[in-house]
Amino acid sequence: MLIIGVDTGGTFTDFIWQDGEEQGEYKLLSTPQNPAEAVLAGLRHIAGERPYQLIHGSTVATNALLEKKGARTALITNRGFEDVIEIARQNRPELYQLQVVKNPPLVPSKYRFGLPGRVDQSGAIIEELDEATLGPLLEELNAAKIESIAVSLLFSFSNPEHELLVGKSLQSLKLPMSLSHQTLAEFREYERTSTTLINAYVAPKMERYLGELEAEVGPNSFRIMQSNGGSISAKTARRESVRTILSGPAGGAVGAATIGRQSGQDKLISFDMGGTSTDVSLIDGELPLTTESTIAGYPVKVPMIDIHTVGAGGGSIARLDRGGSLQVGPQSAGADPGPICYGKGQELTVTDANLFLGRLIPDRFLGGGMALEATKVGLSMRTFAAEMDLEATELAEGILAVANTTMERAIKKISVEKGFDPREFCLFSFGGAGGMHAVDLARLLQIPKVMIPTAPGILSACGMLFADVIKDYSQTVMLGQEEAAPARLKGLLHPLERQAERDLQLEGVPQDRIELQPLLDMRYCGQSFELMVPLSDDFIAGFHQKHAQVYGYSNPHKPTEVVNLRLRAFGRPPRLAAQEQPAGGTVPEQQAQLGTSSAVFSGHAFETAIFERSSLKPGNQIQGPAILVEYSSTIVLPPDCRAVVDPYGHLLIDLQGVAS
Amino acid sequence: MKVNPILLQVFRNRFVAIAEEMGVTLGRTSFSPNIKERRDYSCALFDARGDMIAQAAHIPVHLGSMPLSVKAAIAAVPMVAGDMVMLNDPFCGGTHLPDITLVAPVYLDASENPVFFVANRAHHSDVGGMTPGSMPVSTSIFQEGLIIPPTKLVEQGKIDRKLFDFLLRNVRTPQEREGDFAAQIMANLTGVDRCQQLIAKYGMQEVNLYAAHLNDYAERMMRQTIAGIPDGLYQFEDSLDSDGFSDQEVPLKLCLEINQDQAHLDFSDCADQVTGSVNAVYAITLSAVLYCFRCLIEEDVPTNAGIARPLQITTRPGSLVDARFPAAVAGGNVETSQRIVDLVLGALAKAIPARIPAASQGSMNNTSIGGLDPRSGQPFSYYETLAGGCGADAAQQGASAVHSHMTNTLNTPIEALEYAYPFRVTEYSVRHDSGGAGKQRGGDGLIREIELLAEAEVTVLSERRSTAPYGLLGGEPGKPGLNQVIRKAGSESLPGKFTTRLKPGERLRIETPGGGGWGKKEK
Repeated sequence: MLIIGVDTGGTFTDFIWQDGEEQGEYKLLSTPQNPAEAVLAGLRHIAGERPYQLIHGSTVATNALLEKKGARTALITNRGFEDVIEIARQNRPELYQLQVVKNPPLVPSKYRFGLPGRVDQSGAIIEELDEATLGPLLEELNAAKIESIAVSLLFSFSNPEHELLVGKSLQSLKLPMSLSHQTLAEFREYERTSTTLINAYVAPKMERYLGELEAEVGPNSFRIMQSNGGSISAKTARRESVRTILSGPAGGAVGAATIGRQSGQDKLISFDMGGTSTDVSLIDGELPLTTESTIAGYPVKVPMIDIHTVGAGGGSIARLDRGGSLQVGPQSAGADPGPICYGKGQELTVTDANLFLGRLIPDRFLGGGMALEATKVGLSMRTFAAEMDLEATELAEGILAVANTTMERAIKKISVEKGFDPREFCLFSFGGAGGMHAVDLARLLQIPKVMIPTAPGILSACGMLFADVIKDYSQTVMLGQEEAAPARLKGLLHPLERQAERDLQLEGVPQDRIELQPLLDMRYCGQSFELMVPLSDDFIAGFHQKHAQVYGYSNPHKPTEVVNLRLRAFGRPPRLAAQEQPAGGTVPEQQAQLGTSSAVFSGHAFETAIFERSSLKPGNQIQGPAILVEYSSTIVLPPDCRAVVDPYGHLLIDLQGVAS
Repeated sequence: MKVNPILLQVFRNRFVAIAEEMGVTLGRTSFSPNIKERRDYSCALFDARGDMIAQAAHIPVHLGSMPLSVKAAIAAVPMVAGDMVMLNDPFCGGTHLPDITLVAPVYLDASENPVFFVANRAHHSDVGGMTPGSMPVSTSIFQEGLIIPPTKLVEQGKIDRKLFDFLLRNVRTPQEREGDFAAQIMANLTGVDRCQQLIAKYGMQEVNLYAAHLNDYAERMMRQTIAGIPDGLYQFEDSLDSDGFSDQEVPLKLCLEINQDQAHLDFSDCADQVTGSVNAVYAITLSAVLYCFRCLIEEDVPTNAGIARPLQITTRPGSLVDARFPAAVAGGNVETSQRIVDLVLGALAKAIPARIPAASQGSMNNTSIGGLDPRSGQPFSYYETLAGGCGADAAQQGASAVHSHMTNTLNTPIEALEYAYPFRVTEYSVRHDSGGAGKQRGGDGLIREIELLAEAEVTVLSERRSTAPYGLLGGEPGKPGLNQVIRKAGSESLPGKFTTRLKPGERLRIETPGGGGWGKKEK
């Protein structure tokens, strides 16, 4: 069976396909006005008349939110609480700014409607919802030409009666409807409302987009990537659009985890350095999940792969601030005008510094498809350096050093600050610029090993091919330690399990491939953040242990509480075994060697060998300094490190025993 | 001495990263929601003299007060490796009693004296005193809780258990305090370790050199910023609603002089210190001034000793903004600090009207509720601050229902509140039309109405209930706030600062002030 993974990106739409015998890649320029165009063109090119399975990472929902171009949405709340979405958590984004700029709510005040009725924390109805109030509401929604509806009532996760009643009464409008207890059955009204509202806000756009694709894809299986690292059917994605936001980076993390596992590396720090930003994620055997994501300033509480982004990339601009300190980023030259070496740019960037130091080979960029202007970079670098009373190479290495400290901090945030020691991990580097910085960065963090997969430029699409079907369920229960016996929790979990099995069968997963993973969100009584632990017979011990790992201490005498029940339901597709490539000797073949060039490391110029990566064979060893070029990325091996090609073609760089 | 712009930036990142990592450790390991969820804490590192190198602050009110507490600790107690000194004495390095600072020296193997210090400060939700939450309407420091002068809590790596037990016996929620102290200790250990690693990597000389360069850097940025303000004398007057004991307004006055790249702020004409708990010690005044000037710098500069150098501050000992022992100070940190910001910005608005916003709500609306929870039979103690309206400026309207200036803490979600306390929230909304009119409207305050489901003692410390947040250049003032109790018999307005008892079914309704408008509204 032909399986195709498609990842829509800002510049390119990446395709990867597999048919059991062969595997291939394909790239097309994205079509931002209508992303479906590029997707459909690629599908026709790859599949022709053959049947296929499609797994797609779409940016439609993400962009609708980022560009605030979602539907005209109505928000229905309890009366007196219409402004919860506007008040948010009452804090401001920047501490030292005289004028506060608050993120405006996605729904203006005039489209927010309050209803009588109130449920308390136990689920008891303490004020009835009068159905008579719903008639006029229906008319108001009609008159306002509302396109999508979000309903979020207090404690609806304890008793959904009122939300269901509202939903039923408004059915005749035939509009997409998001009820908060269905989108996210968890307490904390602002975050639940925000998540539900985003779902409603992006749903109509997603509906149109998926409709257009489905018309073409026809009877072929069509799955959509989610931010939790799994895929769902396009049908489900229409209802749960919020779960598809930021699915591209999630694809990258799934790709990293899968490839790492194949090669025996299951403790990874994934490092995806692109043109304007860098994504990092820590994979300790399994994909890291968070329920505390914020997108464009709005909380999204559904479980997502925990990815941290910083504004440092190849296009980050270097400049001297007025206090005399060298800043690199977060401003980026982007693709247009781009770095100086692309021809149009005026400001020095990280990419220019790499070029100046000889770490980027001007006539090998994009397989030689784009010539880089080295002369112009040299001139700018020398002028700028003279202003600072520095040598040009000193400045170029300085630009890289400053960018590297930004990325180092990003990695510390996801490792050290969460109780992980980066020295126990392997740095898994991908993205266009990652390979030029990975070794330096690993040294800063004392990470002993770097891995760079084959085709590092299309890892996200690749991850989509590997993704399981995953559905997440949750329910706030708020039970004290005495009330939370494992048997009771398992009882409470039953309805979620039944729902999950039903849903996965509808997704086309056979019963024997369904795997259910029950989890708990727990905390010590009085705390206001929860930790996720597996539901086992001694889950309390598991919680203390996890608390000690993440926070550095635990207190087994302190009572705990179970805040949420969680269920992750997996449909595991049959694993495609990775294919070993024919091995070569320790010395790369002649045709892989493209000659030598001069590159600067720590102030010294080295005669540096250049290799064509696609001509390397498993078993080949390369001693730094060396540069490996391939179509969409460049890998730099500084002196004193050694790389070896593993049986699958991935590059492993060993830094152990090498002083930083 | 030549400063390398690359190393300057690299060291800046490294120093800030240490302070931030301490902050993450403290936030993550602390026990009480006040520290964890409301992020009422700061962490910083200091050179051997106690000059601040970098700070990770979530609360601007700690800006100027952290350095003073570290200097007080250094002066009072010699510290050997592994020691940690705690303090909260407002008259010796502290601000108000709930804010407890913990200072630790950084030694190198070979060093005779500390080469650096690290410190963190956290707001503890109870330190004893006359009302739960230790934010009382008091008349003397002795009613506000346990006073801790600079004292060793940790000696060569070991907690002084006798001292600690003594301390814990004097607070209402000892278990929580113990957890929070443990977090503060962990944060300092992290800071000490990271400083040592940094020195091991770069050498003491270079680390010290760049610590000094970074202070010079921040100083340069501040001087350039002040140089952009026209020279002159700018005066501004305002007043506090009251001290909570009399109805009398308490006058505040500032004379600001800008002279090239320096600013002199003279607070000598502010009123004498008062009976109630709104007195501010000098550290608070310093913090408020630093906050205002820090905001004027458009770039992201490190907050360190350098930014304070171009600023000269004069206060009169025994005045409201430089209170002396044994003044009551619980509210000075939260309320008066906001009003000092109003004063400084009011004066700056005369110099650079296009850049300065009208007055924001000028209060934190501190609300404490304590009693016995009938559901568990256990005592409960709840403390929260409420957002309000922001002042408008030349470029835009004021933001609504958001924390301004000296605080930035999160709210407690309604659903979290109702799980944890015998309360029912009956309204949480934007207080529409409370912002001052103008060419640009001031932001609106908010309304929080809570029905008590058990008998409870309620204390509110708030400002701008009788005086209004001012507008600028013809903009109208924002509406003052309103504190109400709604009983069966009807509703009753209460003053800005009060303590009362409520019965089940009765409601507390707080409407927070709106921000001032900017510019005359065109007809």
